[in-house]
Amino acid sequence: MNRDITNDDRSKLLTLENLSCTQGENLLFQGLDLCLRSGECLHLRGPNGSGKTSLLRIVCGLMSSDSGKVLWQGRPATSDTEFATQCFYLAHKDALKSELSAIENLRFIQALEGNIDEDALDDALDKMRLLSCADLPVQALSFGQRRRLAFAKLLVIERRLWILDEPFTGIDKEGKVLIEQLCIDHLEKLGSILLTHHQKLDSTPLKAYLQEYDILKASK
Amino acid sequence: MISGAYLGLFQAPADYQQGDSFRIIYVHVPAAWLSLMVYVIMAVAAAIGMIWRMKMAFVVAICSAPLGAVFTALALITGAIWGKPIWGTWWTWDARLTSELILFFLYFGVMATYHAFDDRKTAEKAMAMLCIVGVVIVPIIHYSVEWWSSLHQGATIFAEGGPRMPADMLTPLLLMIGGFMFFYGYALFITCQTMVLKNERKSRWVREVISRNHSR
Amino acid sequence: MSTFKIYFAREWQLMFRNTGALIQPLVFFIIIALLFPFSLPAESNLLQQIGGGIIWVSAVLATLLSLESMFHADYQDGTLEQTLIHHRSLTLAMLGKVMAHWTATGLVLSLISPVLCVTFNIPADQIWVLFVGLLLGTPSLTLIGAIGAALTVTLRRGGVLIAVIILPLYIPVLIFGAGMLTQSYQGLEVTSQIYALAAIFAMSLTLAPLAISASLRATIK
Repeated sequence: MNRDITNDDRSKLLTLENLSCTQGENLLFQGLDLCLRSGECLHLRGPNGSGKTSLLRIVCGLMSSDSGKVLWQGRPATSDTEFATQCFYLAHKDALKSELSAIENLRFIQALEGNIDEDALDDALDKMRLLSCADLPVQALSFGQRRRLAFAKLLVIERRLWILDEPFTGIDKEGKVLIEQLCIDHLEKLGSILLTHHQKLDSTPLKAYLQEYDILKASK
Repeated sequence: MISGAYLGLFQAPADYQQGDSFRIIYVHVPAAWLSLMVYVIMAVAAAIGMIWRMKMAFVVAICSAPLGAVFTALALITGAIWGKPIWGTWWTWDARLTSELILFFLYFGVMATYHAFDDRKTAEKAMAMLCIVGVVIVPIIHYSVEWWSSLHQGATIFAEGGPRMPADMLTPLLLMIGGFMFFYGYALFITCQTMVLKNERKSRWVREVISRNHSR
Repeated sequence: MSTFKIYFAREWQLMFRNTGALIQPLVFFIIIALLFPFSLPAESNLLQQIGGGIIWVSAVLATLLSLESMFHADYQDGTLEQTLIHHRSLTLAMLGKVMAHWTATGLVLSLISPVLCVTFNIPADQIWVLFVGLLLGTPSLTLIGAIGAALTVTLRRGGVLIAVIILPLYIPVLIFGAGMLTQSYQGLEVTSQIYALAAIFAMSLTLAPLAISASLRATIK
């Protein structure tokens, strides 16, 4: 397929074409096609071990697929350095340094972006209801608090595409509402989200934006 | 191919007139040559695999490692056996000997790296990285060892250049080197074949090959 | 350049929050070096002759010990992964991290070494030679070692493998570093070895970060 980059392609932020992945000897998925437009939220669903996380890691360029392409605005995402500055991957691991305090962790993320704005850090912590433990080392925080801090990173830096791996696990009701609101705000600003969750997401306000994608059915 | 090596082995001593202990040269020198050559081949294959993501290149690199290690070990052992009557000692800290020994460790490191990973693709890449790093450092190691051994002048008995070699000795030697190369090529071919079959045992073409062989 | 600085600063911050791990290689270094006098005949001046070599070997071993932890914590908590995805200048980031690591190991080792030399009765002019040699050699040790650490970061028992793959690569540094001492002991010039060590340092400074980032990309998935 040889085609020009049309307007339609540009509104498609992320396109996956004919993606396959094997883990060791097992075929996880094959011939996967998928596309994500701005303002959309895609929910990858599938049982454990169906390759949801692997798919996310392929999109981020951490893993290489056996075949297929990952396109960002119509161009290959791997070599495109623009892609790296436009997406954010939140994995199972929170990617927080346990020796550093909550605010120091955020400050580091922000410093890498090149802008230092202490107010934005406080705002982000406040939004995630973490302001009281801003100066506590991360190892003193509870699991839910750590998870919320990980989401606070998304508020500190501007990214169009959020890639979230099981964002709602291990988090209390209050935290879930916070995160959902965060996602909705992001989608309203025409950002996009690619998230995985093993269950249907029915009873959430996110549902209005949601598009479900069953990884097992899509795999040929 | 393998016959080339045997031909060289049996033909070569016939041409020789001096002390029997010198005959080991026909094994020692080709082994030493090959040990270096195989390392370069391995690193080049590794680089090809990393740059163009060619599966076959990784297989060549991985299969070369044990062969190279065997050549290195052979060169070291024959060198020691040869050294005993000539220098009166099994081992001296001579530059070439030491470099060869380090080369052996490098081969071992490459193999150990490959086998340490559960996932084959990761193992291939990690091993290839090490090969590439190794090939950059090997010349430095070689020069440093050379400089170091010249510091220990008393220990080195081995004369520079060695005795000149008459033509009737050179021919079997070259023949032997050729034979060793053929052997390497042949062994590489077989091990690669096995490895590819093993790696791709899930794919359709391998099953077809197996079923064809069974029906025969 | 700012990436380098940010990573360098963060590594420092992290190291000083975790002083236990910081001190371990240093204590190890001192203990190894001080084991030798016990294993040698008491009244000979052998120690004076081989003391420099002992300190070099101890420095190599201490560096090796500190390598395993270099990327491990970052890998465990997922920050290394984040660096791989989101960072365009991974090489610079890794260079910052590794050099910060060196200041806590190699640099401090070099600073301690004169004290050890005094206990070995090594004459003052040789102490200088050893000090300069260590100062030039240990950054190369850390940089080359970091390649091994990056290759083995995903393995559960990577420590032994690091030793197997990295120690042969340490030989040139060891030869020139310890060779400097032998030369100066015989009253010869040591400038050529200094140049050689500096050349190795320059090479590892430029190439090792590339190899480190390539290794991390290859092994983390």
